[in-house]
Amino acid sequence: MSGGKVDIKVVLLGKAYAGKTSLVERYIHNRFLGETVPYQNTIGAAFGAKTVTVNNKNVIIGIWDTAGSERYEAMSKIYYRGAKAAVVCYDLTEKASFDRARFWIGELQKHEEGCRIYLCGTKYDIVEENPALRSVDEKEAKALALDVRGEVYVTSSKTGKDIEKIFINIASDYMASKAAAAQKEDDEEIVKLRRSSKKSNCPACKS
Amino acid sequence: MIKMLATNGQNKKKTFHLDETDLLCKNGCGFYGNPAWQGFCSKCYREVYQTARQAQMQHDAAKEASQTPGVIKKVTGLADVKASFSRFEEKKTQQVNKRSNTFKSFLRKTPNKENQPLVKEPRRISAESQKIGGEFAEFLKSMKRKPAAVEISKLVRGFIERIQHNQELAIDDLSEMVQDFYTSLSEKLNCLPVFKGFNPDVIDKVMDYTERYILTRLYPSIFCHPSTNDEERDLGIQNRIRSLHWITAAQLDTLINENDPAIRHELDSAITDIIELDSKRATQDKLQCVVSCSKHIFEVLRQSKQGPASADEFLPALIYIVLKANPPLLQSNIQYITRFANPTRLMSGEEGYYFTNLCCAVSFVEGINAESLNISQTDFDRYMSGEAVPPGSGNEQLCKGLQLMYENLRELAELRQRQEKVMAEALQLQADMNEFKEDFIKQVDRTKENNPWMVRPRKVKVDPDAELSGNNSNLPSPLTPLRVHLDGSVVQQECNQGGPDGEVEEMAVDVSILVDGVNVVNNSVLDSKSDIDDMLLGDGRFLEVGAPVPGEDSAGAGGMWEPNQGTLSGSMEMEQGSG
Repeated sequence: MSGGKVDIKVVLLGKAYAGKTSLVERYIHNRFLGETVPYQNTIGAAFGAKTVTVNNKNVIIGIWDTAGSERYEAMSKIYYRGAKAAVVCYDLTEKASFDRARFWIGELQKHEEGCRIYLCGTKYDIVEENPALRSVDEKEAKALALDVRGEVYVTSSKTGKDIEKIFINIASDYMASKAAAAQKEDDEEIVKLRRSSKKSNCPACKS
Repeated sequence: MIKMLATNGQNKKKTFHLDETDLLCKNGCGFYGNPAWQGFCSKCYREVYQTARQAQMQHDAAKEASQTPGVIKKVTGLADVKASFSRFEEKKTQQVNKRSNTFKSFLRKTPNKENQPLVKEPRRISAESQKIGGEFAEFLKSMKRKPAAVEISKLVRGFIERIQHNQELAIDDLSEMVQDFYTSLSEKLNCLPVFKGFNPDVIDKVMDYTERYILTRLYPSIFCHPSTNDEERDLGIQNRIRSLHWITAAQLDTLINENDPAIRHELDSAITDIIELDSKRATQDKLQCVVSCSKHIFEVLRQSKQGPASADEFLPALIYIVLKANPPLLQSNIQYITRFANPTRLMSGEEGYYFTNLCCAVSFVEGINAESLNISQTDFDRYMSGEAVPPGSGNEQLCKGLQLMYENLRELAELRQRQEKVMAEALQLQADMNEFKEDFIKQVDRTKENNPWMVRPRKVKVDPDAELSGNNSNLPSPLTPLRVHLDGSVVQQECNQGGPDGEVEEMAVDVSILVDGVNVVNNSVLDSKSDIDDMLLGDGRFLEVGAPVPGEDSAGAGGMWEPNQGTLSGSMEMEQGSG
């Protein structure tokens, strides 16, 4: 697949009602459900794909929504297998959702090393309106993000704040890491070539 | 069969060289044996066969039980079914082996030299393979690049042969071969000079057709491969789902509203799709079934919930569908897709997403327990063993007629309920009305008791003159009242004793009344102008002093009685004095 399309799998993790679906809806269709769009017009938003252009390359971001209920915890491994990035969502107004986010991050680090983690606080519009409702400390979130060498995004699907940014960053991070990996491979190949050329030279020398 | 006949024939030829004992039943019962019965006579063979069969059955049952411990407590009847099934399984495996053997030998004998690989062996390949082969050939032709097309067909053909030669390999090796082929083909398509200038779309299409063609062709030999335990797992999950038949949508926290006919229809479509999964050969088609099923589920959720569904709702619904559908060979299909589908297909896109969800659902079903359903362990065990059925389950698997009947029954019950409600309300209304009536009567009675209004006879203007004129005839002359005309000018003739001008200036009226033994004496001075308007003296209950009637002379005057003071008893004396 060195040529054409690049397809990345991004999983959305987070407690139920943490706002995952709204995030997908906002990013894919640029709309917020329940306000301007009547619910009847949308069929499910569990999977979405969008093409972004990074460095003149089209990257298809496939967003996989996951069931956040604890009942399906055991199955989550199946979901994030092979994911290139994970957006771990937590509700800024709900402490429990942040604890769940912590759990997901632990799981991801254990089972899916190649997956970059993006921590994402949702429902910023509520906090903005009434700062007293904020129950997840910013510092705490930053500390957790530091842990995963990632960034904290504070988003609002209602206003669209920072939603685009996350996915653009995911795409560009992925392309950068891919380029780095290719570079590394090339380097290794150069080394190999030199060695093999030596070997091939040997019989030539002898003959 | 042929071999058997041959040995039979040999035996016949050699008859003369054989002892009679050789022909007798091996059991030594004295009857003749037969090679077809393994040297036994028919009776002994049956006996031997029966015991062997029973032993086999017991063995199989024991094996089954040990393999799936704790999943289901098997009833002995079930074990029999199992045993016979596992025999069937063995037979099938043997057949597959035999087929693959003959297949290989056939291939070896006829190395393929045709240029068009896609229409070779027309008698051997199935209708599906022929169809997809034709499509692939059409597509290759449509590329209008013969060298490229030939190269592709050569590669594909070579690969299929390679696989067919290596069918006895473990399934993982086969899977690896297929995956390697995808990778190498993709690389070749991107790099080889023959394919130079192909745009990515064409490459995708070539890859797609290749996958489709290869898998359709190889399907019988790689699906549910004998070297795997897929079949066992199929049976495992099938039994598991069967014993979980009692699970309701509510127990999985899904919002499916099964009573709505439109939703019911969507549900049925979803179930049909997931069952169809098994009938397709190519992974693409199988995945398409999963996608279509998922779409129907979303529709179900959308209608049930009146809003879009997210993964939080979708997964439980999918689990529910899997439980209701109990798709055949589910594990085999999942394994087949995982092993042989192009990995990019499974790692991205809708197909991959929904397939992953299906895997999750199956994994959940395998691990379902009391805790994951939020019910107690004892309840779970009872439901699993079929001892009890949870409330509200079991209506789904009915046929259409019964469904309709139940629907009608439900409607009738509803009507009846409404009828009863109407009835009850009517009765209530009646009771209310009666109560009101009684209450009203009571209230009226009470009020009447408290305020005993009497029906008052019509007010009649009393003509005191008339009365007095009758009575005063016996009176001595001075007491004869004066009669005054209304205009006060004319004095009555009989009244000679009055004042010279015939007018009574003042009248002192002394009314002494005995009321209930109390003597009330009312003295008052009446002005002739302020006359007594109305006096009821005859049966004398009421005495009212009304507006003065000017000029009217009254012989008597009285006080005022309270109307409720009973009857006036006593005498009334009137004294008249003139000023």
